[in-house]
Amino acid sequence: MKNILSATRRRASVGAAVLSVSALLLAGCGEAPQSSEGNGNGGGGETKAANSDYLGCIVSDSGGFDDQSFNQSSYEGLKAAQEELGIKIQEAESQAPTDFEPNLNSMVQSGCDLTVTVGFLLGDATKKIAKQNPEQNFAIVDFNDPEFTDNVKPLVYDTAQAAFLAGYLAAGMTETGTVATYGGVKIPTVTIFMDGFDAGIDYYNKQNNADVNLLGWDRKSQEGTFIGDFENQSAGKTNTANFINEGADIILPVAGPVGLGTVDAVKEANKSGKDASIVWVDSDGYKAVPEAQDLFLTSVMKGITKSVKDVITADVNGKFNSQPYVGTLENGGVSIAPYHSYADDVPKELKSEIEDIKAGIIAGEIDVQSDASPEQ
Amino acid sequence: MSAPVTSPQGQAPELDTVRDWKNPIIYAIFAVVGLVGFAFNAPGTTATFDISAGRDAVQLAPVVVPTVPVGWACALILIAIAVFSFLQTQAGRKDPRWMPIAYAIVFVVGFLVWVVGGANKTDVSLVGLLAGSVTMAVPLIFGSLSGVLSERVGVINIAIEGQLLAGAFAAAVAASISGNVYVGMLAAAIAGVLVSVVLAVFSIKYLVNQIIVGVVLNVLVSGLTGFLFSTVLSRDSATWNSPPSLPVIQIPVLEHIPILGGILFRQTIVGYLMYAAVIITYIGLFHTKWGLRVRSVGEHPKAADTLGIKVNFTRAHNVMLGGAVAGLGGSFFTLVSVSQFTKDMTAGQGYIALAAMIFGRWNPIWAFFAALLFGFATNLRFVLSILGTPVPGEFLAMLPYVVTIVAVAGLVGRSRPPAANGTPYIKG
Repeated sequence: MKNILSATRRRASVGAAVLSVSALLLAGCGEAPQSSEGNGNGGGGETKAANSDYLGCIVSDSGGFDDQSFNQSSYEGLKAAQEELGIKIQEAESQAPTDFEPNLNSMVQSGCDLTVTVGFLLGDATKKIAKQNPEQNFAIVDFNDPEFTDNVKPLVYDTAQAAFLAGYLAAGMTETGTVATYGGVKIPTVTIFMDGFDAGIDYYNKQNNADVNLLGWDRKSQEGTFIGDFENQSAGKTNTANFINEGADIILPVAGPVGLGTVDAVKEANKSGKDASIVWVDSDGYKAVPEAQDLFLTSVMKGITKSVKDVITADVNGKFNSQPYVGTLENGGVSIAPYHSYADDVPKELKSEIEDIKAGIIAGEIDVQSDASPEQ
Repeated sequence: MSAPVTSPQGQAPELDTVRDWKNPIIYAIFAVVGLVGFAFNAPGTTATFDISAGRDAVQLAPVVVPTVPVGWACALILIAIAVFSFLQTQAGRKDPRWMPIAYAIVFVVGFLVWVVGGANKTDVSLVGLLAGSVTMAVPLIFGSLSGVLSERVGVINIAIEGQLLAGAFAAAVAASISGNVYVGMLAAAIAGVLVSVVLAVFSIKYLVNQIIVGVVLNVLVSGLTGFLFSTVLSRDSATWNSPPSLPVIQIPVLEHIPILGGILFRQTIVGYLMYAAVIITYIGLFHTKWGLRVRSVGEHPKAADTLGIKVNFTRAHNVMLGGAVAGLGGSFFTLVSVSQFTKDMTAGQGYIALAAMIFGRWNPIWAFFAALLFGFATNLRFVLSILGTPVPGEFLAMLPYVVTIVAVAGLVGRSRPPAANGTPYIKG
């Protein structure tokens, strides 16, 4: 009996060890910090060589660098800086919120000159690590906090301004008189799109004495439809089908990859005789989702790539400051995408009205309010 | 050894000396909720339910329901059932089996009429609500069947999440490369089996704690598919991640049944396989020799062994079968629901499937209904948030879980796992 027991125990512990080691190894694949040399091949060799000891780093949130959303845009900004300036870069993907601080610490220990942290969710970790490491610089996308030390540059975007234009456009284009929006998670960087969209629709209704209805978000009560995560595409699809069932024909999904579920729902609805379209967010949907180019009315874009690249360029040139960067329609930090497939469908008057409104917002004549708007 | 002898369905025997007041009390509490909510606080409007989808052959007029009379009617029925249940318990009799179901249906009807009548938009597509519920439930049903198959032989299957995700991934990749959806389905089943093989080897042969193996497997599959997604799939999604979709098969005649026809009989092959799997698993487990052996291994492996049943072989076999079922369910994500794989797209539904299995008392048919209930509660929360009800969004988000707690605690009764669940079998 004793023999059996000890044999059993041995088998169990060997098994446990093998299993957990292999799981750790595999799970670790995605998040190991990788370093790569600047691969600036053509031209400008001298300045590039001078920058080759500059290390620019980036830490993602749990979306990863291929989320077709803000992590990807930020990463592309860093890559662009690498190509243009010949700096070295290093990256770490976070799988879960518990990875934020360890990833940031490993960046600090690698001697990063500037670390870009992506997203609202990394706010607290960035604040803490930046405070402990005043020698190194940080830039955080989509979050600002008055308590940040002066080695942190917040990059924030007044997305409501661009979403306002998209809301006006959608209200002008809907045939059912109903449009819809939903979010992934109820956080300010999501609701700011929904606020702006709602405000744009209201403005259209007021200007044109119309009665276009928005489903999925109520600006006054700040209540609406949220999937609860940025992963469950099936829920995004079912939810979009619900909107279409309730009469909506233009949908704004503010949910990262979950928005791909909306693409499938709209495809299916259009197959059975509806005529629905989508307003994409963050990047130009026409380019980000090439298999559904005919479905995107427009996109509400944030110029994350450019602002990340700009902050690194400034730091390389020794001109880093902690003044928050606020992307607006005026400085091109937020914008709406070209109409692409819908270029012929959007009436001329509507196009020029949108240009006028854009000018009005830039001039400050039209006030786009959102609780989530960054302070300027 | 001290476990009471149970009937094949796993219900506890009736103990006629103890009066259980739990059910009447729960009925009474919700009857009061109904009376105050649906009856006294009826919004005084009408609620409109559209019962025809656009493509139905026969278009039926929407049902317009006045909220006040319906609210009162529902509240009175709820009270009547609560009173009846009190009297039954007083007399030492058990409630008839249809009662919790009837009670739940009346409560849901009352709630729907009240909430839709009180919303900003008092018009809702009932067909859309139900169709969405079924769609949300399909992976849960496959997942819970996988759990039933595995746990009935005594191996705890936490790895459902990993099996679904592996299935979704394999289906997307195989169908993209081959251009054939059926190859994708086959690959999904195989991927589910592969995850199960690891579970079986470590939990049956190497006697590792089954819960730990399951959790580790979920992390492993998530990491592996996430890694391959970043390094391979997203680099060239045209080759690796653009699977064709399964065609929808319509069953003639039946698909024209109002409301349910379009939901139940306009499915892809995965949807029909789901019905088949539920029925076959049920009959297999409870009405065949194979099922008796399987259950004996899960309840009392030593006794099974003495009768010449190969315990560990049966276990390994069933765990892999469960993996194939869950893997196939995973193909629903990428071949039916949406048209590409993304990282962690199963979003924890494997764990909900596990809850549906427990809620369904390790019985395929009840697990099926439990999963449908989860699907309904989830979609109801989306629809209600669209209609703009006065209920705050955070409360709506709790809905599926509140429903579970109420149902498990109150209406289901004792949920008893197979006696040897989680215990490895060592001969000797």
